[in-house]
Amino acid sequence: MENMESVSNEEGRTDQFPVGMRVLAVDDNPTCLRKLEELLLRCKYHVTKTMESKKALEMLREKSNMFDLVISDVEMPDTDGFKLLEIGLEMDLPVIMLSAHSDYDSVMKGIIHGACDYLVKPVSLKELRNIWQHVVKKNIGSYKKIIAPSRHLLPTSEYAPSGSGKRKEKADDSGDGDDDSDREEDEDGSEQDGEESSNRKKRRVVWSQELHQKFVHAVQQLGLDKAVPKKILDYMNIEGLTRENVASHLQKYRLYLKKLDEGQQHNMSQDAFGSRDSSYFHMAQLEGLRDYSSTRQLSSSSLLTRSSLTKFHPSVYSSVNLQGSNSSSFIPPGHHQSSSSSANPFGTYHSPLLARSQNVNLSPLEPLQFPRSKCSPFMGDFKGIADRGIGSSFLDSRMSFGSSSTSLPCATSNNLMLQENFGVSDGNQSCLNGLSSFPSHHSWQGNLKTTTRFPSHSLPLNHAFGQDQMTCGGTGLGDYNTSLVSADSHVGVLQCEPPFLGDFMQNMNTHKWEEQNCTMMNNTFGNVDYPLPVDNNIVFRDNNATRSKGVDDSLMMSPIEDSATTLNSRECVGNVTMMDPEMRSSTKLENDLVDNQHDVFDDIMNEMLKQDENNGMVSVAARFGL
Amino acid sequence: MDALVAQLQMQYRNYTVSLYQQGFLDDQFTELKKLQDDASPDFVAEVLSLFFEDCVKLIGNMARALDQTGTVDFSQVGASVHQLKGSSSSVGAKRVKGLCITFKEYCEANNYEGCVRCLQQVDIEFKALQTKLQDMFNLEKQIIQAGGKVPQVDIN
Repeated sequence: MENMESVSNEEGRTDQFPVGMRVLAVDDNPTCLRKLEELLLRCKYHVTKTMESKKALEMLREKSNMFDLVISDVEMPDTDGFKLLEIGLEMDLPVIMLSAHSDYDSVMKGIIHGACDYLVKPVSLKELRNIWQHVVKKNIGSYKKIIAPSRHLLPTSEYAPSGSGKRKEKADDSGDGDDDSDREEDEDGSEQDGEESSNRKKRRVVWSQELHQKFVHAVQQLGLDKAVPKKILDYMNIEGLTRENVASHLQKYRLYLKKLDEGQQHNMSQDAFGSRDSSYFHMAQLEGLRDYSSTRQLSSSSLLTRSSLTKFHPSVYSSVNLQGSNSSSFIPPGHHQSSSSSANPFGTYHSPLLARSQNVNLSPLEPLQFPRSKCSPFMGDFKGIADRGIGSSFLDSRMSFGSSSTSLPCATSNNLMLQENFGVSDGNQSCLNGLSSFPSHHSWQGNLKTTTRFPSHSLPLNHAFGQDQMTCGGTGLGDYNTSLVSADSHVGVLQCEPPFLGDFMQNMNTHKWEEQNCTMMNNTFGNVDYPLPVDNNIVFRDNNATRSKGVDDSLMMSPIEDSATTLNSRECVGNVTMMDPEMRSSTKLENDLVDNQHDVFDDIMNEMLKQDENNGMVSVAARFGL
Repeated sequence: MDALVAQLQMQYRNYTVSLYQQGFLDDQFTELKKLQDDASPDFVAEVLSLFFEDCVKLIGNMARALDQTGTVDFSQVGASVHQLKGSSSSVGAKRVKGLCITFKEYCEANNYEGCVRCLQQVDIEFKALQTKLQDMFNLEKQIIQAGGKVPQVDIN
């Protein structure tokens, strides 16, 4: 979870929270999703939406710190809303369930599975305005220490300068030595105020080699995709180990596996190495994958031996951020196959480190503690870098803000968010403009607040960056991002990573729902005089054509009617004719005005209408024009 | 010009109110309108476009499912009905939503005839709504073209 540093560094989180609260919205129904997005935007949250639960899982794993809350439908037929719930819980993210079912059993099921709230569709604005409290509940320690004082929400006796609060938490860490960012410690601190925490202190879990092996064994037995914390926990059967412990470890493990997978696929430039490998490295140590000198074959025995462990250099720890990774890239360590180029799963990743590590003494294994996930520029994965060919140095990116790599991640993640928000913008142009509106001179947070909505009628946007025509190609973004270099220096905030660019590109080019949205916006609902470029994919009747059939004959009902017309539609017809006088007058006006309009109505609609007319009682499918 | 605007606005108000009165629309549609503002001026049109596209797609799915020679997979039909119910409910397409409820019951009862009838009705209803809303939007457009503003219509 976020440490206090990041809470205070993220603008819009402390001063104006819940404004800018980052929500991930998932629903496979495009209509519902779009409405949900708008409702959330109206609450001034920052919204990322997707129709695919799988995509949502990916996003959560890759950028676990990029969201504050997840809200998801649970009845998506092809996907599992409960799985999303599980992942959210793994990351200690509040997950709100949305459902059309309001029956007791459904609600109970949701809550039992750990949803922090269960909302029945259709959801109202009022309900969504309050969801931020779930975020606070999860981070109550931080909020109490940072936000509450600044907003004068605590009784005066509890006002401690935040420094002493911090000190108190640090005191809890003292056992960690160099590692000041252990996840368990955060859970401690985030639970209660100092005086109470001593009563409820969680036992700190140390992932020893043995424990980790048990863990891995459990995961392998269950299968990575099915390996959920609860099951792993049960399998491991270790006293005192909690689901949360397992969950956070699992997250890190997934990331590690992902890196392994990518290590096999890409050859990294040595520059792009730096300290990023460290997250990888811990896992690798636990895995016993230290036998660098024997390069190519990784037999399962060598993977799991302890003898080849090296001591990990502690200083590399502090800047590491481990993230979950996409489980689809899971390769069980015991089954590491040789890749074509090299069997070493780390590829060339570790070679510089190799050199370093060889100088380090081999010492008895020390229990490794994983740094807690927190905002840090180090995270992530090399794939994006390899793909983009950005061979910049990542070494200590805290210091080298000038490197475009660090700015790049920031940009791309925001772009990812921005581009996923462009539901209201029009077509691909706006994707790019969304990009271009990414500010260089304001903090990204601040601007996100203002640029999450793209008025569809304006392109390019007002905050256009100055590069209005950007290609979706990497080079375009590359240019764009170098100019971000001087931007924002909030370390805690730059928690983005190069692969976002990769994802972003992918999303731009392939993501279906996104494209749908693009085309959506090109279709006006009708002959509405909004300055949208009107396209031809509209499934609406041709106003003129049907009007010319005469308003008298029950309007548009007639083409569709056949002998099977129900009473229902006849009623409609009856009612509609009452409207005639008004319709006629407006029709007349409309005909006068509309002649010069381009015909926005789809021929398809006409086709369908014609077909219906022609096909009396034919097969159901044919009736519907299929 | 003002007289024209006033007339159009009145027509618009009346027409809109009638849509509610005739049960085409419900309060969710009102909510949708509330979400439209200067920052998202085409929101309603956009969502309704999505909805109508949804309708076409789902109706197609249902028709195909019901058209199987042999056994019909009612659960497949039901899944589409559920989706349609969700969308129609979220945009305030009251009649369509009502139909979906009935439709769902027929699916659960594996009632082929009932399902086919419902499907026809759904098709009719969504197209009717489409037409109505088209007219409503056209009125809006005319008002704007005549230099006026589209009035906020209070239902009840």
